[in-house]
Amino acid sequence: MIERTNPLPAAADAAVISFTLNGEPVRLAVPPARRLIDVLRHDLLLTGTKIGCEIGRCGACMVLVDGRPVNACLTMMYQLEGRRVTTIEGLAGGAEALHAVQRAFLEEGGFQCGYCTPGMIVSAAALLAERPDPTDDEIVEALSGNLCRCTGYGGILRAVRRAVAIGREADGTG
Amino acid sequence: MILTRETAGGRWRIRPDGPGKVTGRLKYLTDLALPGMLHGVVLRSAHPHARIRAIRTERAAALPGVRAVLTHRDVPGLNAFGISRQDQPVFCSDRVRYVGDAVAAVAADTPEIAERALGLIEVDYEPLPVLDTPEKALSPDAPKLHPHGNVLHRSEYRRGDVDAAFAECVHVVEETYVTPRQMHTYLETEGGLFVPEPDGRLTVYAPTQHGLLDRLQLARILGVPEEAIRVVSSPIGGSFGGKDELNIQPYGALLARATGRPVKIHHSRRESVRAGLKRHPMRITMKTGIDASGRLLAHRVRIVADTGPYATLGAEVLNFATEHVIGPYRYANLDVEGVSVYTNNGMSGEFRGFGGNQAIFALEGQMDRLAELAGIDPWEFRLINLRRMGDPGPFGQQIAQTDGAYQVWVKLKESPLWRERDSLKRAGEASASAQSGGAARPPWIRTGIGAAMVMHGFGLGYGIPDPAAGRLRLAEDGRIEAIFGYEEFGQGLFAAIEALMIDTFGIGPDDLRIVVGDTDRVPDSGSSTASRTTAMIWQALRRMEQPFRRKLLEAAARLTGRAAGGLTLAPGGVADAESGVLLIRYADLAAKAEETIGAQAHFHFPTTDLERIGAHFLYSYAAVAVKVEVNLLTGRVRVLDQYHAVAAGPVVNPMGYVGQIEGGSGMALGFALLEDAVMENGHYLTGNLDTYLIPTIADSRGTVAVEPVEELPEGDPYGPRGIGEIGSVGLAPAIAEAIHEATGVRVSRLPVDPALLIRRPEDLWKAVDGR
Repeated sequence: MIERTNPLPAAADAAVISFTLNGEPVRLAVPPARRLIDVLRHDLLLTGTKIGCEIGRCGACMVLVDGRPVNACLTMMYQLEGRRVTTIEGLAGGAEALHAVQRAFLEEGGFQCGYCTPGMIVSAAALLAERPDPTDDEIVEALSGNLCRCTGYGGILRAVRRAVAIGREADGTG
Repeated sequence: MILTRETAGGRWRIRPDGPGKVTGRLKYLTDLALPGMLHGVVLRSAHPHARIRAIRTERAAALPGVRAVLTHRDVPGLNAFGISRQDQPVFCSDRVRYVGDAVAAVAADTPEIAERALGLIEVDYEPLPVLDTPEKALSPDAPKLHPHGNVLHRSEYRRGDVDAAFAECVHVVEETYVTPRQMHTYLETEGGLFVPEPDGRLTVYAPTQHGLLDRLQLARILGVPEEAIRVVSSPIGGSFGGKDELNIQPYGALLARATGRPVKIHHSRRESVRAGLKRHPMRITMKTGIDASGRLLAHRVRIVADTGPYATLGAEVLNFATEHVIGPYRYANLDVEGVSVYTNNGMSGEFRGFGGNQAIFALEGQMDRLAELAGIDPWEFRLINLRRMGDPGPFGQQIAQTDGAYQVWVKLKESPLWRERDSLKRAGEASASAQSGGAARPPWIRTGIGAAMVMHGFGLGYGIPDPAAGRLRLAEDGRIEAIFGYEEFGQGLFAAIEALMIDTFGIGPDDLRIVVGDTDRVPDSGSSTASRTTAMIWQALRRMEQPFRRKLLEAAARLTGRAAGGLTLAPGGVADAESGVLLIRYADLAAKAEETIGAQAHFHFPTTDLERIGAHFLYSYAAVAVKVEVNLLTGRVRVLDQYHAVAAGPVVNPMGYVGQIEGGSGMALGFALLEDAVMENGHYLTGNLDTYLIPTIADSRGTVAVEPVEELPEGDPYGPRGIGEIGSVGLAPAIAEAIHEATGVRVSRLPVDPALLIRRPEDLWKAVDGR
């Protein structure tokens, strides 16, 4: 269990929030309105989740809450009580493992500088968990909250399509 | 052949930096943290132009948790920076010239305390008139922003007599083109970690495009020798030119030095917008005339660039624009003048394309307008005037000869997209929309196809220090180290080095260690700018290949008792050249060799002999075609299909090549249709990504075909040409022409205003009804 007392807020402001982070139970004493992005990046040093605009427009901080993609910059800690949070670090479920989406991004070149990539992959993984065989319209809809400045999105679209194909192969239906 | 994963085959390799990026394990420099580190923030000017009467920091300094509050009084060395000329204050003392100007900086125990302290700093300003256009700044009664006035730089080029030539022209086109204040919008905003070391040195972990130049600039500011600073500058979450100049580094360095503790700074997006560089807004007026056969007789160009408050590379950008408004064509007479003007708007500076984007948008607009007037097909019209093999460069200068312009011209002419345009035109507008959409489209949807040519110089050009260097070394653990002073900001530097090392030496990826982005370890390879790095790595390896191979083989020969001539480098170690059997592993070679095995190269980027600052010697060429769809009810433009032919020598890294052209064109799409950092009275109205819109995936669904032309003239010694910028140039003018094909409307201002493309219902009715 990860326990960490944030040195920042006065004890009176803190609430104890219990949730699951990448499969591990966590109890944190934090101000209830502290942003999830700050807890991840500053308090827990989980820096795979990036920060780009702080107003929910760029998607660099995308994480899964109960399997659904949310912007960690718009999520406050009190909203996470009892919930399941998955970040890019926990997506594949193991230190050396790669999620099909991660593999596809590697193979197709779905990234360049890589800064938007964790958020992009989290959004794509959320889509495929819900719809294993999405149409291009559905891919575009699912990724329209994630900005990328390097690739022009060509490699990203190809990567998600490839992840779909990898999923089909794994199912033995491809 | 169109370059894809499939056509690239085995050369399509997973990037060495990929696993860390897709798993989130890679630490960017803004991800770093140390126990006990402080958080730094910068107080930016409240006004675009004001005199500073007083700065009082006592209340901020007294706030518990605040460890330092710095102003101009606390700069031990030079209180100024700038790559080319140092006219930007680290901290303003008596005057502010834009809303990003720094007045003070705070280091505190937490970001929250640091922010609160900023609010306690009192600055007495006396607002001054705001020069928010170059025209205002150039008026004789305007206040001077710098001692030498409001002109940063003038540039001109003349040949022949354009006035006399215009009198002989059969057709003349005159137009003014206006381009936006485009923002780089790297997803990782500026930031880093600044660490005072026990030995008294300072380690700077902050992105830049030239670590050694940052070290030089910081040494001047801190008043210490360069060796007292170590700059670690990669990996970087995007730059595009925007992190080339110093940004937060002076503040982090000064705060760390003042407190003796590690200091972290990471800009918010709002502060990044406010303080950071943008692409120069330019107003380019062109008057261009042709004779009856379509030959260009006269080309007059006036460029006005809004460079903002300080220089950075504004003069160099103007020089580049001056060269590229001439571009790939032959003219009988030329008259080009440009001026880069200081204003109280945001900082303009280096940005992928470097003034070429604005220049070529205007130039290609002229070509399309002239072709229409002359009744000549626009692509054939370009060929009439196109520079060919043997021609000099835009300034009449000696250049490395290729037939790139003609090669890409032919490729585009033969491309399926351009052939589709011919059939669209033959079929006529009404049936065309039905045909291209499969099912019948509503009459308010119009499609059109346009194209543009690009000639893009790379390297910094004549008269500017442009060093290149590299080192190879068999390290103690048996890894072959490739050491270069270049930066990885996403372009695929690691992948390019790996591909070149494998191709050159026949070693395996696991034999290689790439060392970049650390001034303690790298030679001065020059900047990672101007599309130069891959070419410089290739040229450095050409110089190092024979000596390094020879030393490795000779050492192996001594240790194995074989003749060096019968040995070869192989994955894992040195092998028998005939059988391929591994004879000695690199690790054993390193352990047993009597001396260090290494090679190095130092040289200068090849330059032209014309004594004109910035004139280029090496060029890449591209031809771009695009199909767009215009909705006449909304005025919105959708980019459907793109075709890019690129003549830039051999493809080093196929995945990176496709990525650079696709990614560059995505940036050009934003430049053409979406992006503008809007300013009013010197203040940004677009403060974050809710109002500054870059393309999303929904704007980018069209196909992009990339066709490299790899062939170079026999005996060409320069190898791969730059491709880092050229993809960001040609799409905007091609879109403008495609919009004209679709609607008959000529656009001369970017981003395209949808209001110009909206048609009234009665016009639509006419279109449907045919009356």
